[in-house]
Amino acid sequence: MKLRMIILLLILLITVQACTEKDDSEFTDIPIIEAYLCPGKCLTLSVNRQIPFSSDVEYSSDDLSSLEITISNNNTNYILIPLGNGLYVDTTLVIAEGERYDLSFYYNSMHVSAYTEIPVKPLNFEQSETIISVMRMDSTSTPTAGGGIWEMPESLTLTWDNNDASYYIVVIENIEETLDPVRDFGDEDIPGGRFNKTPTTSAGLRLMPQEFQYFGNHRIILYHVLPDYASLYDETTTSSQNLTNPSTNITNGYGIFTGLNSDTLYLFIDEQK
Amino acid sequence: MGKNFYSVRCSLILITIFTFYSALAFAQQREYNFNAPGSKCYFRYLSFTADSDYTMIRRPFIFILGEENEEACDLFEKDTLKYSSAFTNYYFVYLPGKVNGSLQRLECIEALVSLLTFNYKFGRSNLFFQVNDTSIKWSDIEEYRLKPVFKNIRLKCENNYLAADIAETGSIQEDFRESAVAYTEEKKPAEDLAKYYIEEEFDIIPENDPLSATSQKTYFGPPDKTNYTLTGVINDNATGEALPFATVQVKGTTIGTATNADGYFTLIKVPADTCTLAAQYLGYEKRLIFLTPQSPDRDFRIELKQQSHTLQEVKVTAYKDDVAFINKAEVGTIKFTPVKMEQLPSIGERDIMRSFQLMPGISASNESSSGLYVRGGTPDQNLVLYDGFTVYHVDHLYGFFSAFNSNALKDIQLFKGGFESRFGGRISSVTEITSKEGNQKQINFGFDVSLLSTNLFAEIPVGKKFTSFIAFRKSYQGTIYDMIFKKFNKSSTEDAPDVGTGPWQKFSQSTEVDSYFYDLNGKFTYRPTEKDIISLSIFNGTDKLDNSFASDIPSFGQARSNFSMNSVDLTKYGNIGSSLKWSRKWNSKLYGNTILSYSNYYNKRDRSSERTLAKPDSNFETNMSGIFENNDLKDYSIKSDYQWDMSQFSQIQLGLFGTFYDIKYSYAESDTVTILDRDGRALLTGLYIQDKIKLFKDRIQLLPGIRTDYFQTTGELYFEPRASLSFSLTDRLILKGSTGKFYQFANRVMREDIMSGSKEFWVLSDGTSVPISTAVHYIAGVSYEMDRYNLSVEGYYKKINNLTEYSLRINANPMGIDYNENFFNGCGYAKGLEFLIQKSTGSLNGWISYTLGEAKNHFNEYSDAYFPANQDVTHEFKIVGLYKHRRWDFSANWIYATGRPYTAPSGAYTITLLDGTAKEFFTVTSKNSVRLPDYHRLDIAATYKLLMGWKGDKKRRELGNVSISLFNLYNRKNVWYKQYVIEDGEIIETNVSYLGITPNITLSLKLR
Repeated sequence: MKLRMIILLLILLITVQACTEKDDSEFTDIPIIEAYLCPGKCLTLSVNRQIPFSSDVEYSSDDLSSLEITISNNNTNYILIPLGNGLYVDTTLVIAEGERYDLSFYYNSMHVSAYTEIPVKPLNFEQSETIISVMRMDSTSTPTAGGGIWEMPESLTLTWDNNDASYYIVVIENIEETLDPVRDFGDEDIPGGRFNKTPTTSAGLRLMPQEFQYFGNHRIILYHVLPDYASLYDETTTSSQNLTNPSTNITNGYGIFTGLNSDTLYLFIDEQK
Repeated sequence: MGKNFYSVRCSLILITIFTFYSALAFAQQREYNFNAPGSKCYFRYLSFTADSDYTMIRRPFIFILGEENEEACDLFEKDTLKYSSAFTNYYFVYLPGKVNGSLQRLECIEALVSLLTFNYKFGRSNLFFQVNDTSIKWSDIEEYRLKPVFKNIRLKCENNYLAADIAETGSIQEDFRESAVAYTEEKKPAEDLAKYYIEEEFDIIPENDPLSATSQKTYFGPPDKTNYTLTGVINDNATGEALPFATVQVKGTTIGTATNADGYFTLIKVPADTCTLAAQYLGYEKRLIFLTPQSPDRDFRIELKQQSHTLQEVKVTAYKDDVAFINKAEVGTIKFTPVKMEQLPSIGERDIMRSFQLMPGISASNESSSGLYVRGGTPDQNLVLYDGFTVYHVDHLYGFFSAFNSNALKDIQLFKGGFESRFGGRISSVTEITSKEGNQKQINFGFDVSLLSTNLFAEIPVGKKFTSFIAFRKSYQGTIYDMIFKKFNKSSTEDAPDVGTGPWQKFSQSTEVDSYFYDLNGKFTYRPTEKDIISLSIFNGTDKLDNSFASDIPSFGQARSNFSMNSVDLTKYGNIGSSLKWSRKWNSKLYGNTILSYSNYYNKRDRSSERTLAKPDSNFETNMSGIFENNDLKDYSIKSDYQWDMSQFSQIQLGLFGTFYDIKYSYAESDTVTILDRDGRALLTGLYIQDKIKLFKDRIQLLPGIRTDYFQTTGELYFEPRASLSFSLTDRLILKGSTGKFYQFANRVMREDIMSGSKEFWVLSDGTSVPISTAVHYIAGVSYEMDRYNLSVEGYYKKINNLTEYSLRINANPMGIDYNENFFNGCGYAKGLEFLIQKSTGSLNGWISYTLGEAKNHFNEYSDAYFPANQDVTHEFKIVGLYKHRRWDFSANWIYATGRPYTAPSGAYTITLLDGTAKEFFTVTSKNSVRLPDYHRLDIAATYKLLMGWKGDKKRRELGNVSISLFNLYNRKNVWYKQYVIEDGEIIETNVSYLGITPNITLSLKLR
């Protein structure tokens, strides 16, 4: 009796299992747009395709380099000129602060659209130090090595106005032709000459001297960004437990089409003797 | 001596006759048949008490045996002892003399004494025997082993009266003197209360086993009372612990009931006071109790004994039980007792929640959740009541273990759906847990040590009225703990956000991982009277998960200033709950209890980095960035429940309840940006009434009920009508069904976030963005009982409205972000079929279960159509086998479940950020459109009983046991989730698996 029941259940199990449809990963060819609109600069925009997860998907027949991409501003339409490889530019369109720009084109029979506004330039961007001295260290250095009197360098404080809790992001870039590392990186990956802080809604930021990897001149750029750009910094999941589509302000597309504005300061990292 | 006796008698008559004239005018002897005609022990005897109270047996007894061929009534007429002022309090029993010289009657006397004194309930110190038959000699008394039955025996031998121990001295008043101090219940030797193991070679139960003596029928006479109400309590014989939800049934009838949470029962319309009762409780020996006219009809105490030498069964009552008359009406009820859970395989701890997962309808493939996924519901839709207060979070260590220490639990019941009106506030199911009160008789201690935790408990009774139970369990970072911890530790490191940690942290970085969980259970019970019980129950379980590291760079060259950086990844969560309960048995038909309770669930997560710069001027500069999450739920409740056993046909239960919720949740990124901050406070109050109706000789049981809630936030009334029905077609075949409406006011909302540790939080409905969830259940089933097997099939359909999910994926537009908009509302349904075949007898037993299920949700934000819910499992097959061989118990279970759904990426892309770095993004397929591979695993366990004493002893005390288990024996790599990265323009998929083969060993020892 028991055996018969088990066999019955197993047969049922296998039968139903066999009937279960296998889902194929669906793939829709949706364009990836990347455009940062900076005042005083010409508009450049790139269009890309997604990397498909499944190998047997088909892209749409649209040619990435011959799309008719329209940017409208103040009731004027500008057709972007393709440069190849999905890159587009319009030299006649110089971005201006406070203006609104609308993106529109067709891809894979879908209307792709987005808009953005150019935020105001950061005001009263100031730095506490212009030169910071740090000690050169190698892998054999210990904090007490050298024996000489050594002072902890000052930290760098950056301040700006932010009355409306806008998003700001600081990017630091070493502008020396050759990079002169502060310490021996050993087996670690060698860091680039550029690093950034996560977007903030505050009106200032403190940078520790330890964050600078290289000696020499640095450019400190403060970007006034929009929330859609700030949201790119949100943690993204790489786990199947909670994958969802990324947030974007582009309809029928992914990526970023956003305005920003910036101000720049300079800093010199000196070697402490 | 003889003259003395008569002269004393004469003088006493004169004195007493007046004094007791009026009393005696009402005092009436009673005549009974002992056994039925034809029996060798058939005779008529007379009882007499001056106060006509024949139920009070806490008094001296004098048994008088008449002369040869003398009838009991003649003896009674002739006897004058009963008028003696020295014996006014005595209980006289007049026995007819021997017939035609046969001494056979002497054989029957012990049975009668035992019967009338309730098996010597108050000892033998006040039992006396007078033999008027001059032909009976002392040697006859010894031959029929009557000497140990009585304190004193007087024989009217040819020459004189003889006392058994006081030879030829003293008067009858002295010989039969009441010894007031002797009214203690007869003490069994202490070790009788312990659990014994009887070697199989000595399988025959010894003749003088006190328990076997009590289950021999000793009364065969006509009944005194018919159709009367009997109330009582069922206890564990060793500890005195009241047994909740045990069943008691009048044998051969359908009359029966179950005890309530305090162990009390009321049997209405017991046909006669000579019936036999069958009392039964999971893990205990079934016991037959033979009622007699002398049995009390209230506060009748039935003691059950834990199964001792037959430890082969971890019996699970599902739907139906031997005498599970009461379970017939209860659709989809599963009951477990922790008594023998140790025999089931486990990861590291005996775990009641894991045991439930072996039953049909409850998902077993989710290793990282102790919370129950019942019939397509989520764990937060399952109400967990612990001694009357709600427990909101049942997970330890990321859900691999439950928060309930099985040593502290007495009884657990799970209602899989369509539950009664007395439960509310949840839309899926109910788990009702009763904790141990502690040994009422003796002090007891015990401990368990396993590779995961140590577990201690103590049971300390104080006097007769106070009992206490305390259990404490704490994990230590052994191999099992580390294995699980690292699974999360690793994934969280991989996904760690860029908090700007510079490479300088490599200097003198110290990682001190200090993670653990513990729980504490306490129960203190006071019984001021026979009718009242006051108990205080306390529960605290806490998990601390620390994956932090600290790095100090103690100055360069000289200690003039100091820079330090702490990266914190600390999660602390747990429950604190307490309830104060007063139960009172107002009368034989009305029982009530009132519970005042507090429950707090807290979950604090701090994943941040803090940098401190200590300057030479002793000032500190600190800045912090990261994620701060805090969920704090407080539940203050009061409720009163009453049960009125109105008649044989109807039992009414009604109650009032009120809960004040205070649920806070905040989520902040860095110490400046608070993304979500909710503080819900509201009162939920209401009442319910339900009526258990039995019709057609209990063949039909109907349980209609209604629950009404008033929720302060919305200011509205909510009505929850419910009903269940069971119909016994034959004694073996039962049809049943139930339906009902259910509301849930506090919900655990899933937050889509990469941290797996705590991605859910509790919020209170606000009526708008988080609406009140509702469900309607329809359940139908059939069960069939065979001699060795039970079969059961149940089907269910649940419609759920107002589900809420939360996504942190912000919908930013150039103009701003509104985080609160990210609550999504949807609906869903779940349906399924469950099959169970259970074998609960024999040395090989167990069960096979199969569930076919579907759970789908619909959220506009995800899809236009219904998509499979995260917990949706189509097929689930489970087989559990237990085998007993001598001192070994072996068990194995195999679980097979088809894969759960997930959302896979359809594509990926990268965006170059302003600093030139590229960030990866995945686009996804439609929600939950693909399935993980099937889940299956085999677990085995063996338990060996440790005994005290020498091999060859008949009975050996059980000291405890050693148990070895192997979880996931064939090391199946069950996929937990998938991880994706983009490498060289391709998406690489890796599987993250659940636990592989995990051995564990547990040593359990206890005093008794």
